[in-house]
Amino acid sequence: MRKTILFSTILSIAIFTGCSQKAQEVTMTAPEKTGEIVDQKVSSTVTPSASETIVSEEEKIAKLKEEAKKIYFDFDKYNIRPDMVPNIEADAKLFNSDDAKPYAIKVEGNCDEWGTDEYNYALGLKRAKSVKDALATNGVEPNRMVVISYGESNPVCTEHTKECWRQNRRVEFDFLKNNQ
Amino acid sequence: MKKLLLLVIFSVLAFSYDATIEVVKKGFHVPKIAIEDSTSPSAVEDKLKNKFLKLLIGDIKVTSHFQIGDIVYRGDYNDDTIDSSILESKIELLLKCKLEYDSKHRLVASVKLLNAKSSNQIFEKFYAVSKKERYPFLAHKITIDINDYIGAPPVKWMERLIVFSKYISKGRSSIVIADYTLSFQKTIVEGGLNVFPKWANEKQTAFYYTSYNTLLPTLYKIDLYSGTRTKILSGSGMVVCSDVSKDGRKLLLTLAPNDQPDIYLYNLDTKTKERITKYSGIDVSGNFIDNEQRIVFISDRLGYPNVFAKDIHGDRVEQMIYHGRNNSSCSAFGKYIVYSSRETNSAFGDNTFNLYLISTQTDFIRKLTATGKNLFPRFADTDDTIIFIKHYKKESALGIIRLNANKTYLFPLKGGKIQSLDW
Repeated sequence: MRKTILFSTILSIAIFTGCSQKAQEVTMTAPEKTGEIVDQKVSSTVTPSASETIVSEEEKIAKLKEEAKKIYFDFDKYNIRPDMVPNIEADAKLFNSDDAKPYAIKVEGNCDEWGTDEYNYALGLKRAKSVKDALATNGVEPNRMVVISYGESNPVCTEHTKECWRQNRRVEFDFLKNNQ
Repeated sequence: MKKLLLLVIFSVLAFSYDATIEVVKKGFHVPKIAIEDSTSPSAVEDKLKNKFLKLLIGDIKVTSHFQIGDIVYRGDYNDDTIDSSILESKIELLLKCKLEYDSKHRLVASVKLLNAKSSNQIFEKFYAVSKKERYPFLAHKITIDINDYIGAPPVKWMERLIVFSKYISKGRSSIVIADYTLSFQKTIVEGGLNVFPKWANEKQTAFYYTSYNTLLPTLYKIDLYSGTRTKILSGSGMVVCSDVSKDGRKLLLTLAPNDQPDIYLYNLDTKTKERITKYSGIDVSGNFIDNEQRIVFISDRLGYPNVFAKDIHGDRVEQMIYHGRNNSSCSAFGKYIVYSSRETNSAFGDNTFNLYLISTQTDFIRKLTATGKNLFPRFADTDDTIIFIKHYKKESALGIIRLNANKTYLFPLKGGKIQSLDW
């Protein structure tokens, strides 16, 4: 995780400078077929390795994230709405599938831009906890789940509309390798 | 031309007057003061000098203890003769200012305060900052001194630093320190999500903040002078430092070790924590009151967020606010509590969250704002000044309320949105 802390003294001030770069003109020419081996290291025939035939872990996680259904909430509420119950059931089934079982589940609570931020973070947390409890009721092992709240800091939509805020009042999921 | 336009827009926005509700009678004479610039033509950059003078006039206005116009007179620093135009304007005090760089490249302000009627010098002082970008602190310090001279209530809060977190984009926020007008700003933490900064002591040499850049939210302490970062603790769910005891050794934290947000008292010496609230809903934003024997906090135990108080070591919880249906942020100083209250369920109105002030000893309640989303109120180190976050349309600003003068001043943030702040 990239993180920079500016440790200069309080009396100093950052100086921001900009620079412009002039693009160089590039002339394209057809490659000459000389038959020379450009890179000796790849002169032998290459066969696909085992890792290339298996879907990478990142791709698996991306697929799980895409398949997991988001759970939406009413304004200022953290109870599971009746219309979200099928999504909870589908998520529980997905999380208990063979594809998902190797991973821990990060249950992420989010809020719209209304409200004061610390309360919003707590509201996001309660939403995440409601979903965690509902998933546990549906058979997902509680120890596999960790909850976190991002308050209003992680919107999927930034328009100033009711529909947009509806999309932001949500719980979504990430998947972690068990050693993370 | 564009820069000039921006400067003009900023000048209009900064120090703009917000709606106020009550008119308070002033108990003392408000003297008329003017500024005379004596800076040599090539001594400092014109732009810097103009910004300094504009800020100085703004500062004097914010005290609410002087009458001052926007005219800056010109004159010789060493000639104390008062110009006839100043006398005709019935100006009582003349502040002569001269800016220059010294041999160490420090920006120095030489200042004389004169009695305009008698030409008598009241005081002469010299102020210096090591970097010219810190010129706002010259203006703030000069204002504090002339305010003290007339015996008005102190405005020492002007030289305090603000620490705030600002959202830059999705999942990204920086922590910045600034003066109260946001004219001076310096980014201290950047990269990832960094929120809820809180000064660690009265001297403002260090602050706490929550980092979301590891698996679990983590509370860190940054020492501004040594440049060290110390991990305090991390935990699942949420970790927020909402208050620090006067001696800097105890913290009020919102933690959720069992996915349940509650308020904890954390002892920095013993590294132990004590759970103070035990409600199954939301308890957040703990603030010390009554010599740190009690706390006020926000809870949804009535089904909506409201302000409550309890003894740190007791079980009885007392409802503090009987007004509004959504009071989700508060701050306490002495017998006063300032809180933010949602006025409407329509998020599209111009008046969604307002600030109110109550006394814990009377039924006194006062509305402090009238438009926009007014959030995160915090008292200065006195009970007559409050800082807060104002979101109005697409603008995010820092607001200062001068309670005794019944005036509010706004200082817009250029880019980003203020997430939280401390003073």
